[in-house]
Amino acid sequence: MLEFLLRRLAAAIVMLLVVGTIIFSLLVIVPGDPAELLLSTGGGSATQEAIQNLRNEMGLDKPILAQYFGFLANTAQFDFGTSIVDGSSIADNIALRLPRTLEIIAVGAILALLLAIPAGTLAGLRGGGRFDVIASAVNALLTSIPGFVVGTLFIYFFAQVLGVLPAGGYVAFAADPAQHLQMLILPATTVALHLATIIFRMTRASVLEMRGHDWVRTATAKGLRRSLVVRHHILRNALGPVITVAGLQLGILLGSTVLIEFVYNWPGLSGMLVTAVEQRDYPTVRAIILTVAAIFIGINLMIDILYSLLDPRVRLQ
Amino acid sequence: MTHSFQASMMATRRGVLLSLGVGITAMALPCGAWAQSTNAILKFGLSTFPPTVKPFDNTGGAANTVKLMIYRGLMGYDASGKLLPELAESFEWLEPTVAVFKLRAKATFHNGKPVTAADVVFSLNEITKEGSSAFLKSDLTIITAAEAVDEKTVQITLSSPSAIFLDLMASYCCPVISAESTEDNAIGAGPFVMKSSEKGVFIELERFDKYYADDQPHVGGIRFIAYADENLRFAALEAGDVDLIEYLPWTQFDAVEASDTMQMRSTLGPYMFLLFNVTDGPFADAKVRQAVGYAIERQDVVDAAFAGRGVPLYGFPNPQGSPFDLTDPAHEWTFDAEKAKALLAEAGYPNGFDCRLLATATYGMHQDTASVVQAYLAMIGINATLDLPDWGTRVTAGKEGKYDLAVHGSSGTYNDPDSLWSLLYSGNPSYLQSFGFKSARIDGLLEQGRTEVDPEKRKAIYQDLATAYFEEVPQVPLNWRVQAYAMKKTVTGFEALPGFLNGASAYALDDTKLG
Amino acid sequence: MTAIPVRATRKTRLLPGFPRCMILPTLLLAALILIPFAAPLITGADPVQIAVRDRLAPPSFAHWLGQDEFGRDRLARVLYGGQVSLTVAFVATTLACIVGTLFGLIGAYFRGPFEFLTTRLSDVVLCFPPILLALLVVTLFGPGAGTLVAVLSVLYFPSFARIAFSEALRVSSLDFVEASRALGTPSHRIVLGTILPNIAGPVSVQYSLTAAAAITIESGLSFLGLGVVPPAPSWGQMIRGARQFMSQDPLGILIPCVALTLTIYAINFFCDRLRDTLDPKGALGGGKDETSVPVAAGMVPADETADVVASVRDLRLDLMRPGGPVNVIEDVSLTLRANQCTALVGESGSGKSLTSLALMGLLPGAVRQARGALRLRRKSGEMVDLGALNAKELEGLRGNDVAMIFQEPMTSLNPIHKVGAQMVEAILSHRAMSPSDARARAISLLELVGINEPARRFDGYPHEMSGGMRQRVMIAMALTCEPRLLIADEPTTALDVTIQAEIIELLQRLRTEYANGLSLLFISHNLGIVAKIADRVAVMYSGQVVEEGPAAQVLNDPHHPYTVALLESMPSSHEDLHSARGDRLRAISGTPPLLDARPSGCTFHNRCPIAVSSCADARPPLFVSADGDRQVRCFRAPEAGLEAAR
Repeated sequence: MLEFLLRRLAAAIVMLLVVGTIIFSLLVIVPGDPAELLLSTGGGSATQEAIQNLRNEMGLDKPILAQYFGFLANTAQFDFGTSIVDGSSIADNIALRLPRTLEIIAVGAILALLLAIPAGTLAGLRGGGRFDVIASAVNALLTSIPGFVVGTLFIYFFAQVLGVLPAGGYVAFAADPAQHLQMLILPATTVALHLATIIFRMTRASVLEMRGHDWVRTATAKGLRRSLVVRHHILRNALGPVITVAGLQLGILLGSTVLIEFVYNWPGLSGMLVTAVEQRDYPTVRAIILTVAAIFIGINLMIDILYSLLDPRVRLQ
Repeated sequence: MTHSFQASMMATRRGVLLSLGVGITAMALPCGAWAQSTNAILKFGLSTFPPTVKPFDNTGGAANTVKLMIYRGLMGYDASGKLLPELAESFEWLEPTVAVFKLRAKATFHNGKPVTAADVVFSLNEITKEGSSAFLKSDLTIITAAEAVDEKTVQITLSSPSAIFLDLMASYCCPVISAESTEDNAIGAGPFVMKSSEKGVFIELERFDKYYADDQPHVGGIRFIAYADENLRFAALEAGDVDLIEYLPWTQFDAVEASDTMQMRSTLGPYMFLLFNVTDGPFADAKVRQAVGYAIERQDVVDAAFAGRGVPLYGFPNPQGSPFDLTDPAHEWTFDAEKAKALLAEAGYPNGFDCRLLATATYGMHQDTASVVQAYLAMIGINATLDLPDWGTRVTAGKEGKYDLAVHGSSGTYNDPDSLWSLLYSGNPSYLQSFGFKSARIDGLLEQGRTEVDPEKRKAIYQDLATAYFEEVPQVPLNWRVQAYAMKKTVTGFEALPGFLNGASAYALDDTKLG
Repeated sequence: MTAIPVRATRKTRLLPGFPRCMILPTLLLAALILIPFAAPLITGADPVQIAVRDRLAPPSFAHWLGQDEFGRDRLARVLYGGQVSLTVAFVATTLACIVGTLFGLIGAYFRGPFEFLTTRLSDVVLCFPPILLALLVVTLFGPGAGTLVAVLSVLYFPSFARIAFSEALRVSSLDFVEASRALGTPSHRIVLGTILPNIAGPVSVQYSLTAAAAITIESGLSFLGLGVVPPAPSWGQMIRGARQFMSQDPLGILIPCVALTLTIYAINFFCDRLRDTLDPKGALGGGKDETSVPVAAGMVPADETADVVASVRDLRLDLMRPGGPVNVIEDVSLTLRANQCTALVGESGSGKSLTSLALMGLLPGAVRQARGALRLRRKSGEMVDLGALNAKELEGLRGNDVAMIFQEPMTSLNPIHKVGAQMVEAILSHRAMSPSDARARAISLLELVGINEPARRFDGYPHEMSGGMRQRVMIAMALTCEPRLLIADEPTTALDVTIQAEIIELLQRLRTEYANGLSLLFISHNLGIVAKIADRVAVMYSGQVVEEGPAAQVLNDPHHPYTVALLESMPSSHEDLHSARGDRLRAISGTPPLLDARPSGCTFHNRCPIAVSSCADARPPLFVSADGDRQVRCFRAPEAGLEAAR
């Protein structure tokens, strides 16, 4: 186990190095000058001299290679540096934003799991039955509606027509718990819907598959109660693939909540990234991508470990 | 279309009357109620989160709004756009090049110390010092000396007379900050103090109790919340999440006008125009640029890109509220496709040509304007391919001349034709100007207008400039934009400043009251 | 248990080889793809023609879906927009598919550095969340259809590479690939000619999944203004444009949303059906937790003496199918007695497994008991009719009064639970005892069935054991509650020859030494084993018992021509025994009839070497021998003559 972890850690570091290098090079060739952009926000203009002065201040006058090695050295010491736009600490900004993205993902995931696992199980157990047919049809339809469409329609309906929920925005939980929760509902539900369709499909398919295995008949032949057969010999086995898929989706969601955060004005990590790309805030973009990649790798590792715990046939290597 | 514009203006006028009425009732109320409402927090929906609030840099409209709440300069504007002394109590011109400002006795910085002449000198030096990225650095090179005559008197000497010096002193990029300010902490003397902020999300200000005007501001604080998406910003107002928003989307004007709970204040602010890469290709020829001027039905741009909320602009963009009337129908590009084709043929392109039209996908109005322009250019044979990168790439492409034709929208910072300086003066090329365009005639007229102080002579200079603008076509104007602030009906006292001052409307927040 | 032979997937008449369940999704998908490309035939309007004066005009005769915010014809825009969206999505998916599959194939076939490159490269790409990567690349190259195609193919090639890699890895270890390699076939021909066709299924499913995802991302990016460049229409862009007029003009946003959703739905629908067709395992009907309820017969057979442990009387089972029920078991009667081993013999599909499952109350959901009685003696001594019991009582009976050992020890144990836990749960569901007592009992049973270090094995997992050991575990598990009847359904078929003998010995030993009074129902097609273990033999053919009697008599002097054929096909040596798993009768030609195509008269007559013409006329009854100990279902058997003489 320890050897496994060390090997995975080493692989992760190499991977992050590659990811960091790719993102650094990408940013070098992306057109746009952060200094000029900052001084022309909203259509203004600045003198060339002012722009050059700001570039020097941002440290963009150094040679590219020096910037690259500086970036590697700092990152190796877990120092993300400061934003070249406003000089704020990037680590602090990420620490502020990341939990919010994680919050909508986590709440969405919990809602999705609570909804999709029972529904998927029921549909799988009654494969071909009325519930299965209806649930699968609804699910297929929901899968086909992109998240940003759902979000747009939600805002129109719940905030503008009914006026029961805020149209978007964010208030810290500590500042106003009730309002925080109100603002959380729509984005979390949108994430939940997306996840739920995937988890439902996977659960249903997995339950259907597990039901076909011989050990299920063995369990019934032993005289186990049906509920026990379902729980121990169908669901428990079906869980592995479901967790793998759900976990992978969570990792992907981490950087893909862009549209949801955009539609609901939820100040999460994706929004920060989009702004950073727009402002060409190079260190911030790099730091966010590295953070997301590291979490993604971490989630994959956790899935592997979890899977090995769920299925003893899987060896960690 | 003029019809709907008038309608919106009337709505504004009605709004003014209404707000006056409410103001009177508020005064009649017992003191307790007044105190209560003055402690309320005004929630202001910004169009973007200010990238920085450095006092002297121009980092966009949202930043300028926030800056005006924290910092003030020697001069300022009232809600009608009238230039008034701000931290200065009075000023006088000793000579055409020497101005003396007398500071208000009560003017105090947020650290509790009085605003002194030394602070003013310090602030001006910060702008003009070596390595500064200040917006007004080049404009203020006309200052040859700034001296503290006594504790509360500053004398500023200019290299030449300047018609716009006082406007510069009222700019949101020319505040007075304390000499005790540091790089990271500039201490201002505005009506509000920074309380807390979160990058990308909100900035919260609280009332500064020692602000020089005793009866201002009327709210306990302002919470600026960023809504980058305009529909969301409006939805937030509609849902009551915020009290006041800037940049009301044009498509929502009707909704606000029809609403019982919302109102708006609008003025003609910035204008849209086309820029050309004149270094080579067809657009190097002024005739081709003129042809473009005639080729576009501007009302369609207004209707399609601005939901009808704008005014076609056929000639020199003299701002609303300008001291001069420069209207000159002889030098305007009214829609005339035949004339455009004739001009093209004259220039040697009877069958038109292919070109690249640069705009940005970041701003819908730029993209939509480009779509209409493209359609009209196609009618005279100019086949334009749209290039819609993000804003950052757009700015770089504009600066490096990687386009044939570009859509842009901009505004000056004060209501004087001189305000077009940064858009027309070739001495400081930027992405705001046609790439490679240089005209000694236009540059000369701009210089003359700036140093001339006699209004009659200035008017003549700018009439010449308008003619030169028409003949040499540094840009093709398209339309004025109606720029609106929308608010709850319970918000009173707020006005949109006219013309190019629209971006400085935050001055009116001093008089704004909540419910 | 052997499968019920049911014809697999139905094929259509027009297109042989084209499954019927694919028609609807294929037509729907084809329509949604073709309609946009038929745009010029549907509308003459130009999708980019601006008419600002008519902006947001409602549907009219000239503009069926109205006009958008620029006054452009919405029908034309949604159709041409479909062309753009679909082209981008499919071109990108095709590129991703080709590149990814190639990567996967090369990685899997050549292994070594290629494998490293393939897997790592996709890992790195997967680290970048899709929208994020798209955002960066679009910022870099500027929006446009070309950029979109590039982004989407980079995003999706890793998933193809992974699938192609794992599938190709599986295929290249198969015999025929090894063989071609040994024959010196050039690598590219093995990869493209042999491996590629074999992984086409999963790759094509991935293809349609990716196409749906690509359309979603394309529209998302266009929605953000990073996709297709205006004025060229695309659905995402139409939504972006219509969003601001949502409250004034809901139709504008609804149309592209519906087009988008419908297209994605069609692709998903197609993809689901395709997967079900290519991999019917995952489709419906395979549930082994579903049992059909036994039916009470109400009759008590006359010969039910005290030593009868179970009896089956006139059992008739029907398989429920869409076209109507098909009879699978007909008039089967069996009497199982204490201390006796009855062997049920026959080819695959003869109905022996179904008969035994019926006795467990474990008939698959699709099989119905149409007639007959299933009776079991409980430990209390009472004889019960299975049909009279409710589900809960059946649960109490299974594993307790009657237990079963299945054919495949490799799959009959749940791989994720410890062996001991699976035994303990069986004990605890029938016995009130503490978990530690249950554990002790399970360990002692493991020891009884001859497992070394039973305490250690108790905490082991099935995958840590050999097939023979697992079958011992299954036997131990079946014995946990000391059942009166033990059913062993081909318990040795899946095992090695030497292990087979050990398992048979074990069963013999247990029967005589451990469980006094146990009745064993032993199901096999292997007469060699049957001869060793059985007291009585019942031979089944096509859902009927054709001969029944004492083992020694039946095997030494078979009266039914089918039994004769079975005995003649019996391999003489142990080696052959193993290879005879295919259980084809070498002595007689032909195959058993399909269930829904049983011949009239004697079901065996068309394969029977001694059949006469009258055999096809009437179905023979069971003729009973003089001593009443043997029965044969053949007109030409000695017993038939006896009957006639009577």
